[in-house]
Amino acid sequence: MTPALGPHLPAIVVGNFLIVAAVLLALGKLATARAPRELPGGVQNAAEAVLDWFVGQARRLHPDGVRLIAPFLATLFLLILLSNLLALLPVPLLRIPPTSYYGATLALALVSVVGVLVIDVRLRGPKAGLLHLVWPNPLQLVTEVSHALSLSLRLYGNIGGELIVGALVTQAVPWGAPLLVHALGLFPVAIQPLVFTLLTANALAIALQGHRAAGAGTERSA
Amino acid sequence: MKEILLVFVPTLTLVPPAVAASLAMRKISSTALEGMTRQPEIAQQLFTTMLVSMALVEALVIYCLVIALMVAAKI
Repeated sequence: MTPALGPHLPAIVVGNFLIVAAVLLALGKLATARAPRELPGGVQNAAEAVLDWFVGQARRLHPDGVRLIAPFLATLFLLILLSNLLALLPVPLLRIPPTSYYGATLALALVSVVGVLVIDVRLRGPKAGLLHLVWPNPLQLVTEVSHALSLSLRLYGNIGGELIVGALVTQAVPWGAPLLVHALGLFPVAIQPLVFTLLTANALAIALQGHRAAGAGTERSA
Repeated sequence: MKEILLVFVPTLTLVPPAVAASLAMRKISSTALEGMTRQPEIAQQLFTTMLVSMALVEALVIYCLVIALMVAAKI
């Protein structure tokens, strides 16, 4: 089965994302099932480590906007990571990652771009947020479109391309070689969500520059 | 003719960008590692910056891959 490059989004992608969302919600419930302890145990420790990274990123971008920025970045990261990881399971609906369809990665990239705009408007007001699209760079709108294209193509190319290579290798050498391809494929599976999230955070940093220029004297150095 | 095009077009579309990208990534990783050995206290920051830079270079090769896939599908 080869990944689709067309604009339509097959039902398998929507179903896959729904399952991933359900798994994420279940993991969230599991992490918060017990009251938090002073000395965290295994699950609380892991959840706090993940949360700490996103809260730290959000705090660096805009200290007052942590409640807005951290969940946005965490959702993008965990959704892409989990959908890629679940594709390693030989379960019929899950084994094709949704990010191997261009429609899905384009949707995620558009969510990233629109999300950055919405957060900018929420934190800096509608005038400053929307003015950023045309001032000081009149071609900022083109930059936003190219940013969405590059995010989507990068994610699609890595995950979809890995799937195509895996399919070709399996056709050529059905025993042993696919395992090697899957093992090598673990790197993009883990790194691509991080890159997607970091580039979204970078775009948010550029959009919030107005806040940085205003509060530069009061910020702590990194 | 179709078979010849199917062999040459994706190869010519992908191989030069892949070579150029590998040279760029070599430079990125060697500079990042030098920085990490000189200043271990900012190693994490350098690693993150290195990852983002590699992703940007890799994206250019992926654009060529997508073009090669589209051309191969048309052929």
